[in-house]
Amino acid sequence: MKKANSNKKKRKTARKSKISKASKNKNSASRENPIKKSPAISKKTRNSNPYIPKPYKVIDYHKETPDNFTLTVDMKIKHDPGQFVQVSIPGIGECPISICSDSDEYIQLNIREVGNVTRALSKLRKGDVILIRGPYGRGYPMQYLNGNDVVVIGGGCGVAPLKSVIDYIENHRADYRNVLLILGYRSDEDIIFKREIAEWDKKYKVHMTLDKEVHSHICYDMRAGFVTDAMNSLHLSKDNKIVFVCGPPVMIRNVIANLKEKGFNDDQIFISAERLMYCAIGICCHCMIRGKYTCVDGPVFRYDEIKELKTD
Amino acid sequence: MLTLKQEKKRFREFLEALSDSYELIAPVKRELVKFDAIKNINDIHFEKNSYFPVKEFFFKKREVLFTFNGNRILEPKFENKERVFFGIRKCDLNAIKHQDIVFMQGANDPYYIAERERSFLLGYHCNEAPSEYCFCGSLELEDYFDMMFYDKGDHMLVEIGSEKGMALYKKFSGFFEKSTRLIAQHEKKIPGADRLKVKDIGPLYDNPDWKKGVDICLSCGACTALCPTCYCFDIHDEVKMSNPGSGERVREWSSCQLPEFSRVAGNHVFRNEREQRFKHRIYHQLDYFKEKYGIQMCVGCGRCIEGCPTRIDFVQIINEMKEGEKR
Repeated sequence: MKKANSNKKKRKTARKSKISKASKNKNSASRENPIKKSPAISKKTRNSNPYIPKPYKVIDYHKETPDNFTLTVDMKIKHDPGQFVQVSIPGIGECPISICSDSDEYIQLNIREVGNVTRALSKLRKGDVILIRGPYGRGYPMQYLNGNDVVVIGGGCGVAPLKSVIDYIENHRADYRNVLLILGYRSDEDIIFKREIAEWDKKYKVHMTLDKEVHSHICYDMRAGFVTDAMNSLHLSKDNKIVFVCGPPVMIRNVIANLKEKGFNDDQIFISAERLMYCAIGICCHCMIRGKYTCVDGPVFRYDEIKELKTD
Repeated sequence: MLTLKQEKKRFREFLEALSDSYELIAPVKRELVKFDAIKNINDIHFEKNSYFPVKEFFFKKREVLFTFNGNRILEPKFENKERVFFGIRKCDLNAIKHQDIVFMQGANDPYYIAERERSFLLGYHCNEAPSEYCFCGSLELEDYFDMMFYDKGDHMLVEIGSEKGMALYKKFSGFFEKSTRLIAQHEKKIPGADRLKVKDIGPLYDNPDWKKGVDICLSCGACTALCPTCYCFDIHDEVKMSNPGSGERVREWSSCQLPEFSRVAGNHVFRNEREQRFKHRIYHQLDYFKEKYGIQMCVGCGRCIEGCPTRIDFVQIINEMKEGEKR
């Protein structure tokens, strides 16, 4: 836990020093850029225009549920678990999607059809091209896990960013201790990552809950109720645990309340927040939570950083 | 800081010369005062501050990010023809400073940078508060300009504030005399503009009086559109009717006062109540920005109050809240 704090401090001071430098240099913008420089500067910025996406090929399409699918894209980038990319189809628009894999060779994007862009994305098949920019944001702090057990609590589509965490742990298994997965879905029709969950069940403790009755014949532990019910029946203790949570706002709220009842500290809980996003580079303000940008300061927040989540 | 002097006659000649060599943009009185390209320097309006902020010349209402044809992307060409702004007030110059922080230091926004790079900022200092809603004196404004003109009746005193300003001065040095008189600190204060009595609104967050006045908010977004510092936007694609495969990705001003602003998949709106949105705007202006960048974002121009169709005066609301808490 100490590590977590010192790291945060570092981030803060780093940002502060950057700012104080900026404000000391009051006229830095106009001072640093005398007239002759301006064309050169535009050339430099044009090369790194942060709004321009690049085309990538879809190498696999997998239907998870009637309205949910996973695309595998031929994009070779370094990224942290929990980061996201901006995916777009020209003429339809752009939207943020979490990376749900951990590989240098490709990225996987789990998408639910809810809007224009995601509906258009659902039409894509192997060989099609999509535009992507990123990765963006601050992912899950995997370095905090060393020496702690990890509890992964996901609800519905919220399981997607958490899958990148699980994949990461699998790729670095020796570095991590016990893994407990608590996954909640509305009904057995809504279970995403069925293939993966069957694999996870062989290696980790997996508990699944369904809001509605259980009809399915899947072998792993599954019961009716909410993730909080599973948390209670497991008698989750707070010792040496880090909890990663992602899911709909109501679920996050209930999970946090439940964890607090069990005595978990704020700095043991990490949440991936969902907000409307456009720029993804810390300008457009749509994703702001009490002054913090979900796209730059998040999407993964330590709970004490955005405690006020419930009001805003 | 280099200080210069200019008789009013020479000042006029300087403006003429400027408009001969550059595109000159200054406040003009139409139905409302707004910044526009100047053809005749007699059109420049000196009395009131511009009703619309100058931000639309840097952070444009509508900006084409790129055009596309299928998956082929055509990046935009950036304009680099130089232009001169004259008559920007101190509040608006500081607003530009705050947007510079967001677009040029916080992020690297090439569209904004290109517009900023090609612009000279020539300020015109208010001798008195130009509007009853002004409160720039309550905020920590700084010198941020290429040149600043102080109107002293029969002459102008001019300060050079940057290398860019110096370069412009050298080009037109014939129109200026060196001045031995420096601008005193008290001359940089604008009298009658310190209505906001609260420095830190952090402790007021849970005050129930945020509801006050907000009941008459129409969620129209006039406050954010008129604000010289507000910088939020949407991004969307526009296609050609003749060829739906081609079109433009565009960014357009948005407003945190609209409910859609925080709507996510599943129709969840994070700031659904007007009170939440109002509070968010004020806290972003006076609190969050300071937390992030060390300075309050609001510059005290009062446009959001003057331009509000129901005249919601957040300064008064905050002052009364503070008064109420004292009691």
